Amino acid sequence: MMFTKLYAATWGDVGKAKEKGFFDFDLFSWMAWTWQTATFFIFIALCITVMLIWEKKDPGGSPRKGILGLDTTRGDRLFISLLGSAFIHLAWLGLVGSVLWIASIICVAYFIVVFKYV
Amino acid sequence: MNKTINQKAWYFVIPVFVLVAFNAAIPLMTVVNYSFQETFGNNVFAWEGTRWFKQILLSERFHAALGRQIAFTFIILLIQIPLGIAIALTMPKKGLGVPVCLILMSMPLLIPWNVVGAMWNIFALPDIGFLGHTLNSMGFDYNFTQQPGDAWFTTILMDVWHWTSLVVLLSYAGLNSIQPAYYQAAEIDGASRWATFRYIELPKMKKVLTLAILLRFMDSFMIYTEPFVLTGGGPGNTTAFLSIDLVKMALGQFDLGPAAAMSLIYFFIVLLVCWVFYNLMMKNEAKS
Repeated sequence: MMFTKLYAATWGDVGKAKEKGFFDFDLFSWMAWTWQTATFFIFIALCITVMLIWEKKDPGGSPRKGILGLDTTRGDRLFISLLGSAFIHLAWLGLVGSVLWIASIICVAYFIVVFKYV
Repeated sequence: MNKTINQKAWYFVIPVFVLVAFNAAIPLMTVVNYSFQETFGNNVFAWEGTRWFKQILLSERFHAALGRQIAFTFIILLIQIPLGIAIALTMPKKGLGVPVCLILMSMPLLIPWNVVGAMWNIFALPDIGFLGHTLNSMGFDYNFTQQPGDAWFTTILMDVWHWTSLVVLLSYAGLNSIQPAYYQAAEIDGASRWATFRYIELPKMKKVLTLAILLRFMDSFMIYTEPFVLTGGGPGNTTAFLSIDLVKMALGQFDLGPAAAMSLIYFFIVLLVCWVFYNLMMKNEAKS
């Protein structure tokens, strides 16, 4: 049988084999989920859901020419915000290194600026 | 006009959705999960927080690989784009020459990437390869397996040989779509060859050239197979571009956490550049 010997996902259980059949295949331990990364993806999913609801309520995506001189819709603005946030966090990690939540606060401000002006 | 509303058609999208989930979204999620953890295999993971990201961002190895990657991409764009345009301008516009040129030009594009690498490896060997042997017998001290400069020269030459055709074919298509009226007007005005190129051909080729630059940027920024077969990233680490370095880290050293963090940073850079190019293309589109 494939996947009959899977190992539990905590340090305490290292090396203790668990008997598992093919249909017991555990997607979540296979993908190495943690609550932190799960929260992140739930946040992304929520963003997309909110965008969907927003689009239903106010169709058309409110296109405009923002301060960057780009024609953007709501979706573009979300993309710019998320990609920018990734770079803000990376820059903070590389340049400052600790107290990462300050970078997150900067990102919230960045989100607001992008959605208002870009 | 009344459009039939049939939202059920959306169900046809489900197979694509599942396919994309399994070949893009789920692997990407797994990479994100790995990038925050340490593992020694056996599906056992330990939380490490942002340690790997910090390590990669501050590591000289990553800076060096990124620097080499940017230099490589910049050099090949600088060579391939002007060379491609120049070749496209000299290609015949009608007659038997057209199919001959087009077939000759598309040949290198049809060769599998690792075959290109192997071909150039043999071609450039200093003792028995045609290129290597010729250069050495002409008095150059050429050995791409030992001298970094020669390794770079060979890698760039190989990439130019492999991919300039793409720029040529795109530029040629762009040139052919220009109406003869423009050339006639230029002739009546007594425009020089350079002026015709600068004010008619180049602006008309802008769209395809943006596309060519984007394609060449992406391909060269993610290049792996050809330098892997040609130099294996050597001598030392001198031609270890980002992908080669990434694979060394992930599979050679089994450092899955740092490799995952590095691939995410790599992915963000690619995403940013693509976004910039996409906007440039859309701007061109809007203008024309």
